Amino acid sequence: MAKIGVFVCHCGENIASMVDTGNLVRSLSDHPGVEVCNEYKYFCSDPGQETVKRAIREHNLTGVVVAACSPRMHEQTFRKACAEAGLNPYMLELANIREQCSWVHSNKEQATGKAIEITRSLVEKVKRNNELKPISVPVTRRALVIGGGIAGIQAALDIASAGREVVLVEREPSIGGHMSQLSETFPTLDCSQCILTPRMVEAIQHPNIRVLTYSEVEEVVGYIGNFTVKVRNKARYVDIDKCTGCGDCIQKCPQKKIPSEFECGLGNRSAIYTPFAQAVPNKPVIDRNRCTYFKNGKCKICQKTCQIEHCIDFDMQDTYEEIEVGAIVVATGFQIQDTSVYGEYGYGKYKDVITGLQFERLASASGPTAGKILRPSDGKEPETVVFIQCAGSRDPSKGVKYCSKICCMYTAKHAMLYAHKHHHGNSQIFYMDIRAAGKGYDEFTRRAIEEDGAGYVRGRVSKVFQENGKLIVRGVDTLLGKPVEVAADMVVLATAMVPQPDAKEFAKRIGIGYDEYGFFNEAHLKLRPVETATAGIYLCGACQSPKDIPDTVAQASASAAKVLGLFSREQLEREPVVAAVTESTCAGCWGCVMACPYNAIEKQDIKDRNGKVIKQVASVNPGLCQGCGTCVTFCRSNSIDLAGFTEKQIFAEVMAL
Amino acid sequence: MGIQEQYRSEAASLLSSGEVKLVIGFGAGSTADRRRPLFARTGEEANRFVLDASCIANLSTYLLTEGLLSDGKKVGIFLKPDGIRSINILIAEAQLKPDQVVILGYAIENGQLTALEGRSVADFNGVNEKIRSLALPPAVQQDIERLEAMSPVERFQFWQDQFSKCIKCYACRQACPMCYCRRCIVDVNQPQWVNTSSHTLGNFEWNIVRAFHLAGRCAACGACDRACPVNIPLRLINARMGREVREAFDYFAGESTDQKPVLASFSKDDPETFIL
Repeated sequence: MAKIGVFVCHCGENIASMVDTGNLVRSLSDHPGVEVCNEYKYFCSDPGQETVKRAIREHNLTGVVVAACSPRMHEQTFRKACAEAGLNPYMLELANIREQCSWVHSNKEQATGKAIEITRSLVEKVKRNNELKPISVPVTRRALVIGGGIAGIQAALDIASAGREVVLVEREPSIGGHMSQLSETFPTLDCSQCILTPRMVEAIQHPNIRVLTYSEVEEVVGYIGNFTVKVRNKARYVDIDKCTGCGDCIQKCPQKKIPSEFECGLGNRSAIYTPFAQAVPNKPVIDRNRCTYFKNGKCKICQKTCQIEHCIDFDMQDTYEEIEVGAIVVATGFQIQDTSVYGEYGYGKYKDVITGLQFERLASASGPTAGKILRPSDGKEPETVVFIQCAGSRDPSKGVKYCSKICCMYTAKHAMLYAHKHHHGNSQIFYMDIRAAGKGYDEFTRRAIEEDGAGYVRGRVSKVFQENGKLIVRGVDTLLGKPVEVAADMVVLATAMVPQPDAKEFAKRIGIGYDEYGFFNEAHLKLRPVETATAGIYLCGACQSPKDIPDTVAQASASAAKVLGLFSREQLEREPVVAAVTESTCAGCWGCVMACPYNAIEKQDIKDRNGKVIKQVASVNPGLCQGCGTCVTFCRSNSIDLAGFTEKQIFAEVMAL
Repeated sequence: MGIQEQYRSEAASLLSSGEVKLVIGFGAGSTADRRRPLFARTGEEANRFVLDASCIANLSTYLLTEGLLSDGKKVGIFLKPDGIRSINILIAEAQLKPDQVVILGYAIENGQLTALEGRSVADFNGVNEKIRSLALPPAVQQDIERLEAMSPVERFQFWQDQFSKCIKCYACRQACPMCYCRRCIVDVNQPQWVNTSSHTLGNFEWNIVRAFHLAGRCAACGACDRACPVNIPLRLINARMGREVREAFDYFAGESTDQKPVLASFSKDDPETFIL
């Protein structure tokens, strides 16, 4: 005989103001199988939970219904209370009479009627609940970090320092990411390379970190705790184990006029090259598309120069490896928007209209001008520099709708660096708003204005054109309500941060969600910011949304904490809400196999006693199943059932309405 | 030599050479214009095959007889294009193996029979314009148009009247090659989703569930229609579902053996945001 306890929560006034809880208790008390029915102001409070536990013990309850808020809020709370009182936690149901009833109605009588029906249907369901046990799955305690920028490096170091193995995959020849290209960093103006390179070195030297540069993740299969990742190690044509990084090959390479990606086209590199001086690993790579040998079949000067035998190998092929990991941190970073969509700013037309990232290279001590801010066109010092903020961000018509978050700060920094290097220089900044929220940020922009003489003009620029060797920046000062023109020597565009061009395709490949732009989706913007909807895959850095370095590093450590939490046990406990197939009635049409979004359904042979296969039926792998129920709805012969939401339970629930 | 004689001798040689263990075709029926299925196991039996414009049934449903194909041997079968579509769907749904079926194909157009070229399933696989362009019989087409012209209220009344005749004999299920489940959902009684007594609600539930289960799977052979003892025009509802699927997904059921079931497969490029 079912002995059900029903506990009606007032949730303060949240429920009680719209639902007549006394009436609800009276109606449910008479319902068949209800042994005890109470109401209380806050059942989630300690005394509230104690009431539930006491009732379970005193009345020997076989099931509990708490009529309160959404199961998302307090299902775990009451499951725990049930377990402490000796009742299987899956014999609990939460009747949602708050979000789905009191909050959304304005007629108390009708809302009460609905609350009674909701609670009654859950009583009918809980009568048919079965005791369930959590599923244990083993955890491979090794993490994969995708992306070797500051986010990936930080996450990898945190996980590795806690004693777990990490595989760090970077598709470029060196780790370091965008941060390695920056000159100084706001708001402290410390040199980016000086604070980043120690981390890069620590990562490559860490005994628990395996760094795979010039490699890409091709495929991810499996599930939380048990992923198999296929990684492609791209042919580098240089054996990094043999190479000493002497650089002789680079010196001798006849192809020297290749625009350097690292220098944003402001400097050149050779066909065999290391992207930058502090590259990690500091071993060259051959750019197959630019190499004379690969183009003409003749040259190999680098190989002849190299003093180590078989170090440079033109026959090298891409290799593939499969890596078992338990968790994945996605830290694939961002790109800057192609500013040539703004024809009016003259980017690509005038050499002295550059992006913020190019300015970083000009200001960087390791850059093409050795840290001198010089015009790309003639190498002269610019007397007047105009900075245009939101050159792409917050522009739904041509650019992107969102704020790129870092531009206000780096533009202020650029103006400062310019003032520090050219004491008589004049900088003018066109801005929409100054967004400087962050520790020391507003002080920083004030300093740019007050101490370093940055001129802020609130308004947009309509056109940049050349006249008498000057770049004329025509815009409007909206505070004065007047059009303005500035004759500049150089124009710097604060370009928008956008997702990697292949972000959407990559997200599909590894099975995570993304937004309209291609930034990866977190499970909950506020409460689960570094988890994805796919269990075991975490996010950090600018692949999730535009971020500055402090936020990126904080998020990287947060994702590492999540990974370490997962790795804290050898076995992982999973909700036992999984599907199961009735073999005797399965027709083997494989509709469920195709419909399953988690590849959790396999084909299973049914054999007779002689071992002969008589038929094939579907079989659910409980480790992979996420309990979504797609297969259940698809199965025409009703041969699949979902534990915790069985057909019998759902039917009883519906019929009680 | 007429097509009947041609197929008789072909069936006989298939059987006597041992290439197939059985040929499923048509024999004489109880009246002059009715044909009944004939299962020939020897060359002599093959001489009793009849093939004329009255051979309209879709015989593919007999291929699913429990145990018939479990020995791995081949079976020959007389099929019209709609039957070939059924075969393709059944193969796509893993109910048949293509190499176990030898097709003796024919088409009936304006009362005239023509033999279809090709004997193996592969010969009819892929986009087959002949099959795709196959129009429904004019009478059925007219009925569909008549239904389309109705208001939703009238149409609902029409189906209510039709389904009220249903006696839940499940002849439609028995005749349909797509109803191959070992246990039909209507026979599930724990819980009893579909009411088995023949009153309006239960009748509606049964017929609508069957129509849903055939969406994107119906070969439009009309077997259900012909099997119904109370003359419910079941193919009309299936034709409508077929059209919905064609318009929404550009999907023509039974075009090839590797089609993914339209309602069970999904594309990762789907514009709907709920798909990851």
